Amino acid sequence: MSRTLERPKSIGARVHRLEDPRFLSGRARYIDDIRRPRMLHLAIARSQEAHARIGEIDVESALALGDDIRVFTGADTVGLAVTANAEYPEVQFSQQPLLAQGRVRFVGEPVAAVLADDPYRAEDAAGLVFIDYENLTVLPGIAVARAEGAPTLFDGWRNNLFVERQMKGGDLAAARSAAVHTMRRTYRTHRQAGVPLECRGVVAEYDPADETLTVWSSTQIPHLLRTYISEELEWPETRLRVVAPDVGGGFGVKGQIFVEEILVAWLALQTGRAVKWIEDRREHLIASIHAREHEHTLEAYLDGDCRLLGLQADISVDCGAYSTWPFTAASDPGMVAKVLPGPYDFGAYEATFRGVATNKCPVGTYRGVGRPSAVFSQERLMDDIAAELGLDPVDFRLRNIIRRFPFKNVLGFTYDEGSYAESLEKTRAFLAPDIAEARRTRSSDEVRVGVGFACFIEQTAHGTPDFTRRRVPIETGYESARVEMMPDGSVLVEIGLQNHGQGHETTLAQVAADALGVTPQEVRVRHGDTLTTPYSVGTWGSRGGALGGGAVHRAATEVAGKLRAIAAHLLQAEGQEIVLGAGYAALAEDPDRHIEIAHLARAAHRNLERLPEGMGPGLAALAGCDGPADGTYSNAVHAAVVEIDMNSGKLTLRRFVVVEDCGVIINPMIVDGQVRGGVVQGIGSALFEQFVYSEDCQPLTTNFADYLLPAAPEIPDIEVHHIETPTPLTPLGAKGLGEGGAIGPAAAIANAVSNALGVSVAETPLNANAIWTLIQSATGRSETGE
Amino acid sequence: MNTICLHVNGVSHRVAVEPRRLLADVLRQDLALSGVHIGCAHGACGCCTVQIDGAPQLSCLTFAVQCDGAEIETVEGLGGHDAGHPLQKAFMAEHALQCGYCTPGFLMALAPFVEQAIEQGRIPEADEIREAMSGNICRCTGYHGIVAAVRRAIHDGIQGDSP
Repeated sequence: MSRTLERPKSIGARVHRLEDPRFLSGRARYIDDIRRPRMLHLAIARSQEAHARIGEIDVESALALGDDIRVFTGADTVGLAVTANAEYPEVQFSQQPLLAQGRVRFVGEPVAAVLADDPYRAEDAAGLVFIDYENLTVLPGIAVARAEGAPTLFDGWRNNLFVERQMKGGDLAAARSAAVHTMRRTYRTHRQAGVPLECRGVVAEYDPADETLTVWSSTQIPHLLRTYISEELEWPETRLRVVAPDVGGGFGVKGQIFVEEILVAWLALQTGRAVKWIEDRREHLIASIHAREHEHTLEAYLDGDCRLLGLQADISVDCGAYSTWPFTAASDPGMVAKVLPGPYDFGAYEATFRGVATNKCPVGTYRGVGRPSAVFSQERLMDDIAAELGLDPVDFRLRNIIRRFPFKNVLGFTYDEGSYAESLEKTRAFLAPDIAEARRTRSSDEVRVGVGFACFIEQTAHGTPDFTRRRVPIETGYESARVEMMPDGSVLVEIGLQNHGQGHETTLAQVAADALGVTPQEVRVRHGDTLTTPYSVGTWGSRGGALGGGAVHRAATEVAGKLRAIAAHLLQAEGQEIVLGAGYAALAEDPDRHIEIAHLARAAHRNLERLPEGMGPGLAALAGCDGPADGTYSNAVHAAVVEIDMNSGKLTLRRFVVVEDCGVIINPMIVDGQVRGGVVQGIGSALFEQFVYSEDCQPLTTNFADYLLPAAPEIPDIEVHHIETPTPLTPLGAKGLGEGGAIGPAAAIANAVSNALGVSVAETPLNANAIWTLIQSATGRSETGE
Repeated sequence: MNTICLHVNGVSHRVAVEPRRLLADVLRQDLALSGVHIGCAHGACGCCTVQIDGAPQLSCLTFAVQCDGAEIETVEGLGGHDAGHPLQKAFMAEHALQCGYCTPGFLMALAPFVEQAIEQGRIPEADEIREAMSGNICRCTGYHGIVAAVRRAIHDGIQGDSP
């Protein structure tokens, strides 16, 4: 038989997801599906005040409900906390206690833990815990918290800043004095969050037989959680197992350590019983993680040719009541300071950023981390400058965009090759008819059309040096993978990533399959369990494909090398090139000489006498992949087309176009899905979602009738186009792409609204009230203004 | 405690329940049907959608005692272990799910819509498909794949039915 070496490549193919059947048939196992014998259920009595001293906590009524009820308060958990430790002079770090220690700092902060045999009874009892509050001055936002003489949220603090730091490069004073045009603007983005449809949840159980504490948590970072619990409870990591089962969405929200995770683990040790806590939606909306409450004041300096000379930025973020671990309250403001230079070529920059402590839910990571707000300000500024100088906004961007690579930016970060100008020009071409329509309707009193662009880059897959520079406890950013071919020739891939919708069980099977010459269907990818997977930082920061894929590729390549050596030996072809593909190992020069890969696998494990002399048994390899020092830079342009009814104020999002470049694409179906999903979250950010607090910091948006997530009828088809510029910095040439979709929409939509109405848009959300007010200012109609 | 009879996915169960217990909890905890998901517990997200006597209903807003004698269908009964219902297959082909948490609710809400459209032999416009899923929230996909999956399932169903 003559064999042509057909080697179907999996990387780049639209492989259907291997994990789908269990989700489609209801067999997936999420945190609330974890049930243990004699399990206790936890309900948490939470603070109803934003800032208060806690007096007496009356637990008698709760205990009177029945013998199964047990109540723990802060007096039982003294010294236990989530500590965003960062010992630097510019940082004041907080400790969030597992249960309040005499003082509460936001509505929803845990005060008492109530256990019962049944979740309904636990909730009943939690409602019967009565807490005495002595109210303290509330810090409702950045302005009050920063005001002279404001009381500090933490004893011993010098002010209400978690962090204040500078970043600078080049000679800003020279840029300022050389400037022909100067533009100063303040932009704001409002508070919202990732809001996965599965709330948080934790189960913990101590097994006296193997002296191991197992913690199941709906988390993106199981290994980091294991380390944190180990350090906080002084429990060895060899006797601690963290399992992230199927996780119903994370988006960064589940990418930090929560007090509830430590509390449930501690309660399981205290009671000797399994303990389960399932968050409800109200708890999630008031007391998990919020994001994106930013205020940026930018001043840009331009020469007579409308080229950017320099940029000054002052960045404040309302970080809420506590700093988080491991990214801390520096995460959002620091990211803005770092990324504001964006895709533009200029030589001087100074940014001051600060995280401000207030009496709201803590701010943590959410898809894009600071970048959606940064790009909103950066791209609004570009449009505002273009409007002021009478330039076409795309032409103005093209005049300033980076075109030579690698490019060392004003802060010293090196951008690898991208397609910045090409993606912008391509997007403009797609939008030509809409741009023409916007011109035609510019002064219409009925319906106006607007087109807005957002051009941005995203540092993805950042490595250890980047986190060292940030001075935060995350410390590192690597992913690891273990690849083993079993005696039957099937392949087990164990990854430290956690798959909560990203499709890792498919994409990483594709990567291993290509290296090993098998099909993705023969590869099983396992994740989420610290007992079976190698230590890694988990899934966040757009690193799954680039670094997780890189780690799998390296480990699988090592296994493939051993397969080739065995094949060469058995085919009596030592020294000749062996190709793996379609289930066979064959001589590259003479494919008729071949042997089944499954045969090699069996030999490696079972028939050691058939191996080359000196070769050890087994077919496994472990490999890690850290991010490049400055990461690898994906780029994209988002364009929005809006239609605004000038009489009713109704805004319709007619079109949304993405041209993106994330380097080598492992699975185009999944990349499109990630981009579209991110874009729709960004549309939610721009138009619908908002956490509203009263002046005394009572949360007013505590359910899905008040906190509006985008639903299908409001959303157009999202058009996605790709440019593939491979990066030399990761093993597969892939750049990160998970977050990018969420970064551009607020900027693109705001620019479209600004384009339609001819007025500057300085803040989000662009809800019905905001659009109505903008129409009034655009048309000079003031009688119905606010 | 009330003892009620629930006919779930073709099997009858007698269960003793407190009157306040939600149908979603009884299906999940007493009958171990892990495909019923709770996303908000106030009737806004659609994750908990099951079919009661043939119609999509929110099991987080339904007490189990209200369903004594009712025929209940959950995602486990839709296409079996291998997810063989045409809409489930279309979800896979069109990447209509990511984390999967909202998926059973979408499937149970949309399966009757798909079946009806196939019966009528017409492929609805995108607006009508989007309206049909307006009671369900998906946070991952941006709905694009779900709309495509509904269209594909109807299209394939009509093709399959034609002589």
